Amino acid sequence: MGRYILRRLISVIPTLIGVTLIIFLFQRLIPGDPAVAMLGEHATQENVERIREQFGLNRPAFLDREALADGDLTGFFDSQYIRYANRLLHFDLGNSIHRRIPVVETLSERFPATLELATLSLLISLLIGLPVGIASAARRNSALDGVTMVGSLIGVSMPIFWLGIMEIMLFSVFLNWLPSGGRLSTGIVITPITHLLLLDSLLTGNIPGFVDALKHIAMPAIALATIPTAIIARMTRSSMLDVLQEDYIRTATAKGLAERVVLFRHALKNAFLPVITIIGIQAGTLLAGAVLTETIFSWPGIGKWVYDSILGRDYPIVQGVTLLIAIIFLLVNLIVDISYAILDPRISYD
Amino acid sequence: MNKKSIYTIVGLIVILTMVLTACAPKTPAVTQVPGATDAPAAELPTTFIFGRGADSVQLDPAIVTDGESFRVTGQVLEPLYEYELGSTVPVPALAEECVPNADATVWNCKLREGVKFHDGTDFNADAVVFNFERWRFTTDPYHFASQVFEYYEAMFGGFDDASMITEVKKVDDYNVQFTLSDPLAPFLANLAMDMFAISSPAAIEAAGEAYGTPTGGVVGTGPFKFVSWEEGNQIIVDANADYWGGAPTIKQIVFRVIPDDSARFLALKAGDIHGLEQAVVEDLASAEADPNLTIITRPALNTSYLAFNYNILEFQDIRVREAVAHAIDKEGLISNFFGKYGEVAKNLLPPLVWGHNDAVVDWTFDPALSKQLLSDAGFPDGLSEVTIAEDILNADGAVVYKAGDKIPLRLYYMPVTRFYFPAAKEVGEAMAANLTAAGFNVELYLEGDWPTYLGSRRNGLLVGLYLLGWGGDNGDPDNFTGYFFSGGAEPIKREGWYQNAELADLLRQALVNPDRAAREAIYQQTEQLMHDDVMRIWLGHNNTPLIFSSKVTGYGAQPVGADYFEFIEFVP
Repeated sequence: MGRYILRRLISVIPTLIGVTLIIFLFQRLIPGDPAVAMLGEHATQENVERIREQFGLNRPAFLDREALADGDLTGFFDSQYIRYANRLLHFDLGNSIHRRIPVVETLSERFPATLELATLSLLISLLIGLPVGIASAARRNSALDGVTMVGSLIGVSMPIFWLGIMEIMLFSVFLNWLPSGGRLSTGIVITPITHLLLLDSLLTGNIPGFVDALKHIAMPAIALATIPTAIIARMTRSSMLDVLQEDYIRTATAKGLAERVVLFRHALKNAFLPVITIIGIQAGTLLAGAVLTETIFSWPGIGKWVYDSILGRDYPIVQGVTLLIAIIFLLVNLIVDISYAILDPRISYD
Repeated sequence: MNKKSIYTIVGLIVILTMVLTACAPKTPAVTQVPGATDAPAAELPTTFIFGRGADSVQLDPAIVTDGESFRVTGQVLEPLYEYELGSTVPVPALAEECVPNADATVWNCKLREGVKFHDGTDFNADAVVFNFERWRFTTDPYHFASQVFEYYEAMFGGFDDASMITEVKKVDDYNVQFTLSDPLAPFLANLAMDMFAISSPAAIEAAGEAYGTPTGGVVGTGPFKFVSWEEGNQIIVDANADYWGGAPTIKQIVFRVIPDDSARFLALKAGDIHGLEQAVVEDLASAEADPNLTIITRPALNTSYLAFNYNILEFQDIRVREAVAHAIDKEGLISNFFGKYGEVAKNLLPPLVWGHNDAVVDWTFDPALSKQLLSDAGFPDGLSEVTIAEDILNADGAVVYKAGDKIPLRLYYMPVTRFYFPAAKEVGEAMAANLTAAGFNVELYLEGDWPTYLGSRRNGLLVGLYLLGWGGDNGDPDNFTGYFFSGGAEPIKREGWYQNAELADLLRQALVNPDRAAREAIYQQTEQLMHDDVMRIWLGHNNTPLIFSSKVTGYGAQPVGADYFEFIEFVP
């Protein structure tokens, strides 16, 4: 298993190189000049040129063939991509074109917000989706099953922005229970350790801070969890139904084993493989940021940030965040694959 | 699974949900900090929370152009002059007065004494010289290569030797002399712009390139001091108890980012914020009916318009342009899409700006006359296709449209909402209907997103009719008409290849004439000239609404420059 993990980690490198190439190419296929986007309506041509030069946007995207024709080998390789790759090798994601501050600086502030929201949302999805899916499969065609299926269909179909606004209307405007947005109230201070506010407040014993952070994250986490919950519930039910029709389950039931044992010891373990795949995809998606949820609840994560950066042609931010998302997906996939081997003894990577 | 197990799981889920939604006793949320709570009358809030749609880009005002940056820097830093509350008239701020010589090429400014920056250093002539030299000289150690001092370049003619300010000299600790290469009529209006606010030299030296960033902060002399900036979330400034103009009543301002318009309005209704800008029409109607909310308006210093691309042969015929002018139902467009906050425009200059010419008689809405004019111009069956007059190149020099190319008649609409254009797409759709009814078979065209739109406009590539607008920076008419057309001796590709040497000459005369009355006459003349040439169709001026809790008074919405927050008070 150790060698498998090592092999997978090594294979991450060419994958990431491919990702950087694709991101780089696609960004430059979108029309619109980052310098013009930064400078706005007032921009003079001289300033546009200056900014293009400052950020190397005046260089060819990949390789300078004209320089090669002139015999200038250094110039041939002096392209936007090579410069970017060179910075990456030094763990430098560059500076934001619009804000002129290091991408890493903002990323380290914003990613913990996304991580915290995604983790709680996933937790909610698992705590609700899994048991509901199992119960629904165990009581197929019952009232519970009907409610679950209709509920999960609604969950999958519900527009997040509508749900978010409804939550704010109910819990903030009418009931006045929860704050309408943000991550923490003004005046509440939590000493940063991990920058995950719930965790930091617990680690520092800051109970008012924990309550405040919990109240802020509650609505966005529930809104964000809606779709994954529904998907996990449906997937769990479907997978469980398949397994429950297997001969070995019938045999176990015929042997007189308790329903709990049949469900959890024999059925669930085997039904769990496709569910794990879905959970992995959902985890990756949640960690990649949730533009709508972050926008409605003014949650300062990476989703809205990268969305605005795409519109503003802020290439270094888009490149930095997409690279991070790619790494997250690769790691989540690795974890999912490893968990297959743990859950199913027939799967071996050695 | 037996029933007991199922009930246990369901029970756990219910409990979890209750915990997460804080289904606790109905007590005020912790988020409702003193500033945001509906507090008892005896305890009025001291923190004012303002909801806005986007974060500031940077807090060094010299290198930014976005309003959300100036909204904050305007509270922390001050220029030598500022705009009188509620108007565009420059009045002394950090300078007690600036007096010109006879030909207005030398200005002597007496500085306010006893003023300190928030870091405790003195505001004096050295600080003024430091700031102006930093902005002007590209070789200055604090004129960083990654930064663009756009407004200095735009308002004072350029950097280094190109600058109209040729010298800023310290006369003594509290007197500074500005020498100009030519008379610059809007000099005081320029000085009052937020971009020319004076920063603490010590703070710039200490922070270097990080000055104005979340980590570097910003240090001025204003009524509020920078405290913190959590990117994408909020900026906090505290009242400056030692402010030379008197300490503000409120103790703190929080500028909170709430990107979604509806969520921002709901946050106001929930009491989480006390004021906001950029509300959707439906929310404005709701606010008007809500006794807990009040609406104030920012006087219009903007103009939206429909422009022609003059590199299209058909638009070079004034009869075709006049036909377009008569085809547009401006009243209908403004009342339907700008609501009661919009005014129909007949000048480029809004009525608030001197030089506005009220004597101009606007084009009537008359589709029949449009058809007649089109017919007279040789298009009895209407106009569906237009002809490129000369090759049009993109930024890389490649030919995009060749002379003689026939293309469909397009109406380009902006892909974003701007303060001068609250509903560009909807206006475009209605306008397309207007034009079609008058014989112009236009194709409503989406060029791309905002950067693409601006880039195409810059290169004269919006080949048809296109929507755009302008918001003034300093209340001077040159900032409107001069910005667009003073270079018009040659075709200006950024302005749809418009060329008018007579207009350009008048604008240059107005720029250097220190006599205000004479300038006003020139700008009124240029308005009539632009109207007679049907060079563009001016559509509207938008008075921007802002919504506040009815417990807030004293917000100073400025037509130009940052709003005044220092007079805000909470009332029971």
